[in-house]
Amino acid sequence: MEFQTLFAASHHIYIGNAIWYLVVFAILMLLVKHYAWGPVSDMMEKRRQKVIEDLDSAADNRKKAEVLANEREAALKNSRQEATQILSDAKANAQKTSDKIVADANADASSIRKQAEEDAKRAKAEALDDARGQVADISVAIAEKVIAKNLSAEDQKDLVDQFIKGLND
Amino acid sequence: MEKSFVINLFGLNFDMVGIIGSTLMAAAVLFICIWLSRKVELRPNKRQNVMEYLLDFTNGIVKDNVEDVDAQKHLSLYAFTLFLFIWFMNQLGMFLEIRVDEFMIIKSPTADPVATMTFAMMTLLLSFTFGVQKFGVGGYLRNYSAPVGFLLPINVIEEFTNFLTLSLRLYGNIYAGEVLLTLIGNRLATSYGLPTMILAAPLAMIWQGFSVFIGSIQAYVFVTLSMVYIGKKVTKE
Repeated sequence: MEFQTLFAASHHIYIGNAIWYLVVFAILMLLVKHYAWGPVSDMMEKRRQKVIEDLDSAADNRKKAEVLANEREAALKNSRQEATQILSDAKANAQKTSDKIVADANADASSIRKQAEEDAKRAKAEALDDARGQVADISVAIAEKVIAKNLSAEDQKDLVDQFIKGLND
Repeated sequence: MEKSFVINLFGLNFDMVGIIGSTLMAAAVLFICIWLSRKVELRPNKRQNVMEYLLDFTNGIVKDNVEDVDAQKHLSLYAFTLFLFIWFMNQLGMFLEIRVDEFMIIKSPTADPVATMTFAMMTLLLSFTFGVQKFGVGGYLRNYSAPVGFLLPINVIEEFTNFLTLSLRLYGNIYAGEVLLTLIGNRLATSYGLPTMILAAPLAMIWQGFSVFIGSIQAYVFVTLSMVYIGKKVTKE
């Protein structure tokens, strides 16, 4: 009863129509799959894969860049350290050299001065000795001439010594 | 009373209204799909974007209602084609209704219960197929008495009610829309001459706009419920 009112508009149940709809739908599905659905969903899948790949490679590249930057920073730090090391080495070397030169010069100067002092002292002693001998001879000769023969040579020498002592003082 | 061309072929009745309408709309769907995806590129052009949006939309319906990933892959094409086909058939009667004398030539095929029942039956059979494929015949039949045994008659009856509600909801909505449109156009417009004709024009326009909305909603609902029924068959309760 119910079905009769349901199909009132068409009076019959058209089995032919049902078959036709199914066939049309099946053909439509096949054609849509071949011409539209297949290529488009393939491309969507391909794009999805590409996005995944791109994201992966981007993450990879970022990691690589990070490592590289770290390395560079470390190298920079190292080179700066080396430079300061070299600089301080050079400074220390220079200081050492200059100290050595000054010390050498000082030593030279003091040795030269010492030498000179010794030379002077010796010259003075020699001169004194010379003078002493000559003065004694001369004074003996003079005294001989002045006092004639009374004074012995020994007395004469004592006399001269005393005289020279007086000179020395 | 409207009559339709009925051709008897091989002992089967063919109602030309449904046949012409469905074939035309299938051709339209095919044409638009091919036109939208003529140049498929990795960087999508505008047409491809439309196509991909539609595909995403129907795929979304499938993914929301079917949990089984394997079934999702197989149902994508079915949902896409079904949605577009039903949508076009729903809209056909809204803007084109051709009548020669007493004979209808073109109207929405989905305003005929035979068409909607065909599609509902197709969905039902597909759900059986998916269920049997997933659980085997024994497992599939056992699912009727799940989760508890005494629900068996209810689960069996549910198959019939699912079939009827799925088909008749679509049929009723589209048929009612067309009836009201015919009433406005044929009865109201011609009842008192010019004044009613002027009154009928905006009414028909409003109702047509609303019918486009209803047709879209019903196509969406039909596909969604199809996926719900199929999804229920491939998930263990």
